[in-house]
Amino acid sequence: MIDALCDEPSEEDIAIAMFYCDFRDQQKQTTTNIIGAILKQLLVRGEVLEDVQKAFQKAKKEVGGRGLRLPDMVQMLEQAIATLPQVFICIDALDECIPKHLLELLVSLKDIIRKSPRMRIFVTGRPQVEAEITRQFTNSVIVPISPKAHDIKRYLENKLEMDTEHYAMSDGLRADILTTIPERISGMCVGASIVPTSLCMVLY
Amino acid sequence: MDHAAYSSSTSFGNRNVNCNNVTNNHKIVNVNKVIADENPGVVQWLSPLDPRGRHQDVRTNRLDGVGNWLLETKEFGEWRSGEGGADRAVLFCYGDPGVGKTYLR
Repeated sequence: MIDALCDEPSEEDIAIAMFYCDFRDQQKQTTTNIIGAILKQLLVRGEVLEDVQKAFQKAKKEVGGRGLRLPDMVQMLEQAIATLPQVFICIDALDECIPKHLLELLVSLKDIIRKSPRMRIFVTGRPQVEAEITRQFTNSVIVPISPKAHDIKRYLENKLEMDTEHYAMSDGLRADILTTIPERISGMCVGASIVPTSLCMVLY
Repeated sequence: MDHAAYSSSTSFGNRNVNCNNVTNNHKIVNVNKVIADENPGVVQWLSPLDPRGRHQDVRTNRLDGVGNWLLETKEFGEWRSGEGGADRAVLFCYGDPGVGKTYLR
């Protein structure tokens, strides 16, 4: 998505920030840290940076050099977005946030959108987070993702092409692989036993 | 990605900044242009998290063309155009594990 936005022909400047939620990093991925990670990608205009630097200097003088609180972080992000022409925020795997952080994150994003209606947010996640997303963003644009046969074929072709043990492959087997696997996977629930695990991992 | 991997991407990530936005034009305002890189203390204080390492992994493993169908949908077009304003600001793509959400182009 990020590459697609970068590459599309457009007259106007855009700024993109991204974040990948990761269940292995849940404790560190607090809402404040996530918003902070987005903010630092959007600190491209001097005036906001000055404010952030001031807050940093102030915090250093306080006990423990404490970090910003969530409302302050959100406010700074709003400020940063206001200085930019158009901002895209892409967040992957929302389901990997703990529920408390997810809710805080969505509420924070809602506040930010209210201030910057031109901003666009792209999020992905497993189906179970849909309810929370539609609760916070009643009219969000929703697209179900399923593996497409031609994508799988393309992927398999690439893997076969790059197979270092190509002598073990015959034309017949190759043709079988390229027809059977895409047919079986597309439209079916991935995760069933027929899908090779390695394929699942890489596609994900 | 574990903590070690994250912190290593933090330490060398700044040098790779512009790789994240390899484009042949100048319309991209960021990601993390020099301004942030000249202020490592501030950037670290803002958040210990640095998604750029993970992003680079995804870019490396992504196969060109896969997931392009999304860009052709009317939903994507509507969202991208911004016509719906704040009301339609969020595009949510959902799917079970392994369907390719992360690797949508």
